[in-house]
Amino acid sequence: MGGYAGKILYIDLTSGAIETRPLDLEFARKYIGGLGFGAKIYLDLIKDRPGFDSLSADNPFILMTGPLTGIRMNAVARWTVCSKSPLTGLWGECNIGGFFGAELKFAGYDGIVITGEADKPTYIYIDNNTVEIRDAQKYWGADVYTVNDEIIADHKDTSRKSGQVLTIGPAGENLVRFASIINNKGHVAGRTGMGAVWGAKKLKAIFVRGTGSLKVAYPKRLDSLRKELKELYAGHITIEGLRAFGTASHMDIGIISGDIPIKNWQQTDWELFDEIGPIAYGEKILTGNRTCYACGVACKREAEVKEGPFKFDKGPGPEYETVATFGTMCLNSSMESIGKANDICNRYGMDTITCGSTIAFAIECFENGLINEEDTDGLNLTWGNSEAIVAMAEKIGKKQGFGSILSEGSAGAAKQIGGNASDFLTTVKGLEAPMHDPRAAHGYGLAYAVTPRGACHTASPIYAIEGGGMYLPEIPELGDEIIGMSSEGKAKLNIACQDFGMFFSGCAVFCNLGANILNATQAVDMVNHVTGFDYTIKEVMHLGRRIWYLKRGLSNLFGARAEHDRLPKRLLTPIQTGPSQGSVPDMDLMLKEFYELRGFNDDGVPKKEILEDLGLSELSKLLYRER
Amino acid sequence: MGIFESSQKFEEILGGFFRHVSDTPSVANKLLASKLIIRFTYTDPDVVIVVDCSGDKVGVRPGDTDTKAEVNMSMSADIAHKFWFGKVNLLAALTRRQMVAKGPIPKILKLLPAIKPAYTMYPKYLEDNGYNKYNIY
Repeated sequence: MGGYAGKILYIDLTSGAIETRPLDLEFARKYIGGLGFGAKIYLDLIKDRPGFDSLSADNPFILMTGPLTGIRMNAVARWTVCSKSPLTGLWGECNIGGFFGAELKFAGYDGIVITGEADKPTYIYIDNNTVEIRDAQKYWGADVYTVNDEIIADHKDTSRKSGQVLTIGPAGENLVRFASIINNKGHVAGRTGMGAVWGAKKLKAIFVRGTGSLKVAYPKRLDSLRKELKELYAGHITIEGLRAFGTASHMDIGIISGDIPIKNWQQTDWELFDEIGPIAYGEKILTGNRTCYACGVACKREAEVKEGPFKFDKGPGPEYETVATFGTMCLNSSMESIGKANDICNRYGMDTITCGSTIAFAIECFENGLINEEDTDGLNLTWGNSEAIVAMAEKIGKKQGFGSILSEGSAGAAKQIGGNASDFLTTVKGLEAPMHDPRAAHGYGLAYAVTPRGACHTASPIYAIEGGGMYLPEIPELGDEIIGMSSEGKAKLNIACQDFGMFFSGCAVFCNLGANILNATQAVDMVNHVTGFDYTIKEVMHLGRRIWYLKRGLSNLFGARAEHDRLPKRLLTPIQTGPSQGSVPDMDLMLKEFYELRGFNDDGVPKKEILEDLGLSELSKLLYRER
Repeated sequence: MGIFESSQKFEEILGGFFRHVSDTPSVANKLLASKLIIRFTYTDPDVVIVVDCSGDKVGVRPGDTDTKAEVNMSMSADIAHKFWFGKVNLLAALTRRQMVAKGPIPKILKLLPAIKPAYTMYPKYLEDNGYNKYNIY
């Protein structure tokens, strides 16, 4: 058997117990890896006591790699984390790149299951077979970049290999509800507040160093596929675009189709747009490229501002989502300030989508007189005020003044601000929508509404399929021509995307960017060549479907119901001009079809017989016992 | 049979549109900054147009098969027509090879902000020049 490291670490921070359990291959075949492993193990841990606070010791945190993590191929360096979200109170998860996942597998582990909470700041030290819970008081309070460098420096004498650090920043310690966890300064588990889960557990960091290697079941077959893919990657427009401009390459394509939210989702065009487009990014702040383990796509950016109010040292640069949330969403045309806001979010450890969107929401509250300078600690929080936007980001990280209110996320802040603040929300299930407008591609609307973690564009490839960057002709629903501004057939499309996506980016764990150019056959072949399994496309769709229901069921267990499967008013308000003029998703139609096809009852819970048919009887008992 | 009845008609309409665009300073200046020579090869009906941004002025040369182009774009005439109406998902068209772009991709992508204003110009150009029957706006 190849791909897997073969062991899972179980660490209880309350008792200090550390246990290594072998990976069961039947389990591996059934749940593939990543979020498949994570969701199943999580359910097993909480099934006897599903009612608990996300910031309590009762909330397990699970980090899982996939069978491809650590294999020397493009776009497979990724891994996953999951837990109950402090931001939404529902299922929370992230898919992350970087180097940590590969290093963990080289140390001999497919994943780490963390339970309990420490009584003092702690970090986990992993050096191959040596696993220890160590005192982290000297790192507590330090920002992500500092901790990363210090931990590496503190352990450099023990081996020639420097190892990898995964850490939270002050935002996680301060329990900012959208705090992130960051590897190597710029590879971020951003969404749903996993950093706050660590903060509550007083877990500052994990250091891992591994000197082992991974086996590949069929090396010759993998080599042959590698050659085939080398030709595919060479000169491919998506890959070349990512290489040249990073994810921000989407700015110039997205603006044509009406995909990019502007002024807190009130516009899809803006006269200053080019000031923060990919060309401006390159001219104003870009210093170089970065990449993830063994990936030749190198879509990550490095940036720097040498002087002025937004000065920051060379480090990871903003991704597309960050340019949009801190730029277009806030009508902020200062590229330098976007770089600075990104630097603050990385150093404090915060999700840039929620942070930028929450600031855009607060600006609209300010502009409409719901809050004023007294509330905002003297900041003139108006559209395009770059200094105020950057200052507010820092206040959130520190949980200081008005930043403390915004640290709850926009939905939490709206409750405290009151009035008609909720009219300005762009959240589903409490999670701020990513920077892709469902008015221009109706299928995104359904995806945002029904994804277990809330408004999400990465849990399934719907964004890539409907957006046009991915084409899977082997799966009939995903090979047809797709009309963005139509709601017809989008339930069926979403379901196929969810089922395949759970295999693809959820469990295997392929990158949603660099691996989008693969077709389904190439993706399944890669997993088979590495693991030695003999999956078919049909089988991975079936396995993906079961894991999707498992995640949906977990959110249902935490209280998600049909009334939460709704888009906010703002995303259903037609745009008056531009490419998506007058277009809004028909949510009633799509939800009705989706509920029927997925076999949900009127409450938005999968019916017993559907769960039992999928072999999820345990989940079924829990959901219907609850009721 | 596509939208356009003959190569001559399509060349007249699209060539005319490209000349119209190249006479619009806000677009032309951005095109000239790229210094690219782009050959558009259309099928059904078959037409070749070279857009030359290498000089002081944008040159539009229908039928030019001799000039060496740095960028070659191929697509059907119908896709091109819908594209200028903003009715083609560019990424999907490229992914599904309804459009094929050959050349330095970063330079091609840099053209996108330049051509964006042209979307609103195309329907008006058709209307103003008596090509109403082709208008799908």
